[in-house]
Amino acid sequence: MRKKALIVDDNGSNLMLEKDLLEVAGFEVFEAENAADGIAMVRREKPDIIIMDVRLPDMRGSVAATILRQDKETRDIPIVFVTASVMAEGMEEIRNITNAGFIGKPINTRTFAKEISQFIK
Amino acid sequence: MSRKSTATRSQEYSESIINTVREPLIALDQDLRVVSVSRSFYEVFKVNPEETVGQLIYDLGNKQWDIPKLRELLETILPQRATFDNYEVEHDFATIGRRIMLLNARQIQRVLGKERIILLAIEDITERREIEIGLEKARKELEVTKISEDEAREYAESIINTVRESLIALDQDLRVVSVSRSFYEVFKVNPKETVGQLIYDLGNKQWNIPKLRELLETILPQEATFDNYEVEHDFTTIGRRIMLLNARQIQRVLGKERIILLAIEDITERRQIEDGLKKAHEELKELATELRRTARVKSEFLANMSHELRTPLNSINGFSEVLYDETFGPLNEKQKKYVNNVLTSGKHLLLLINQILDMAKLEAGKMKLALSSLPMKSLLNEISLLVADMVSKKKIEMLLAIAEDLPNIEADELKVKEIIYNLLSNAVKFTPEGGKIGMRAKKADSEIEVVVWDTGVGIAPENMEKIFEGFFRVDTPYSRVTEGTGLGLPLSKKLVELHGGKFSVESKGLNSGTSVRFTLPIVSRKVV
Repeated sequence: MRKKALIVDDNGSNLMLEKDLLEVAGFEVFEAENAADGIAMVRREKPDIIIMDVRLPDMRGSVAATILRQDKETRDIPIVFVTASVMAEGMEEIRNITNAGFIGKPINTRTFAKEISQFIK
Repeated sequence: MSRKSTATRSQEYSESIINTVREPLIALDQDLRVVSVSRSFYEVFKVNPEETVGQLIYDLGNKQWDIPKLRELLETILPQRATFDNYEVEHDFATIGRRIMLLNARQIQRVLGKERIILLAIEDITERREIEIGLEKARKELEVTKISEDEAREYAESIINTVRESLIALDQDLRVVSVSRSFYEVFKVNPKETVGQLIYDLGNKQWNIPKLRELLETILPQEATFDNYEVEHDFTTIGRRIMLLNARQIQRVLGKERIILLAIEDITERRQIEDGLKKAHEELKELATELRRTARVKSEFLANMSHELRTPLNSINGFSEVLYDETFGPLNEKQKKYVNNVLTSGKHLLLLINQILDMAKLEAGKMKLALSSLPMKSLLNEISLLVADMVSKKKIEMLLAIAEDLPNIEADELKVKEIIYNLLSNAVKFTPEGGKIGMRAKKADSEIEVVVWDTGVGIAPENMEKIFEGFFRVDTPYSRVTEGTGLGLPLSKKLVELHGGKFSVESKGLNSGTSVRFTLPIVSRKVV
């Protein structure tokens, strides 16, 4: 069975790149361009993994993650933050989120899908 | 018979006088033999009548009285003058010790007959003289004391006039006794209107200062001494002054009066300087706050810039990489070459962004080191392999001389790798084909020393400073502009220094090669 991945990113180009890479790797990919849509999508689709940008138009990715962690249904879905905020300040806000990972932008297209797969238990 | 009895009576009478007077008296005949002696003579000179009366005076008390000055008096002076007063004789008697005697001599005619009698009154003034000498000594001492009191006063006044501080001496009624020269100068008063005046009345009652009254009338009578009493007062002549008063209440050497010594330090200017300093300090604090704010804004700006630049770069590098890898279908040779150029430029841009961020972090002191034990021997070899491709492409020879006993060091692995990679890739970049580059590494005391050298373009002396400024690059036929960022060297230097090492660049000039030497402590001195 194909793994389900949800990508939440407001930048269309990055969304497309990540989607292509994951689809090539055999994922079924869902997309959302803001946190609210993303949370709704998670609740509906129960993806195996969530790939999320930190700076989203309606809220911080870290806030969206906190919301998901409070819901029994979505609490254990791993979240990988793919963010351009690679400085220490950016890392701080996602440190305390359980079952979460981090990949800095720009991504390595040759290893991206593999890195994502490793976060799925 | 009757003559005889009259004479006897007369003699008895004179003897009773002799025996009544407290003074020793001796009566001699004209041959200087003792006729009669007063009782006190026996007492004073410790002789008895048996060995006295009829004796030659000089023979008395075992010849103790054979005194040259007495002989002089009796044999030379008296025959001529008949009477002599206060003839002083000092003599060392065997029985009674050294005595000073005052002799009064009278040569008298006996009432009847022609014989003369010499009456000698002997006053022992030894004690009196001692008292006199003592008194004299005391008087002299008193004089000395008096002199020293004068001297002391003079000395005190010279002190008063010498010190730069204003001094004022007051009597117990708070009238001015003495004033230092500087007092006149500072407070613009003259001696005439000062000495003898009540302090409060000085300079047209300018000194009628409530706090001064408090000090002199309330505090000082209780404390006798008082330091650093601050008084601020608006003087009509010299304006607002802040004074620091030190007061001493002292007893005069003689007499019971007290003197109040008041030292007045004008601290107006000092206070102004202090206030100025305080103000400057506050301004500095504000400036520091502003600087911290600026630094925070700069740091936020850099974080934003980094984010904003990385987001499009993610697309540029990502898509060109996917295209180059032909994930979604084959490219022709030209397409593949072009997309590779996009990718190379994108990666260069990313390197620039990373290095600019690192420089900013280093300059802000925000760069943190992740220390671990680094096996330097293998690490240096590993990095040299990263440039091996470039080296062989350019037909350059690379010589490694890494000491066998090179120890592990405590350092940040990624940053040490970055330093060595920067230096080695610089060496390759700036060395023409056929040249040589190399790396030497050895242990030096508590550090390791690494030298990365090349036989390349070198650095002109005038550019030695500029190479650390950032974005400075030597344009040479061997290095394309896109190959470096110009930040590698300054960044490496800062990273070495962050580890507590030293970093230096040497070059004998253009086309004479370059050698970069740096050290890293074996045990980190940084507190993590």
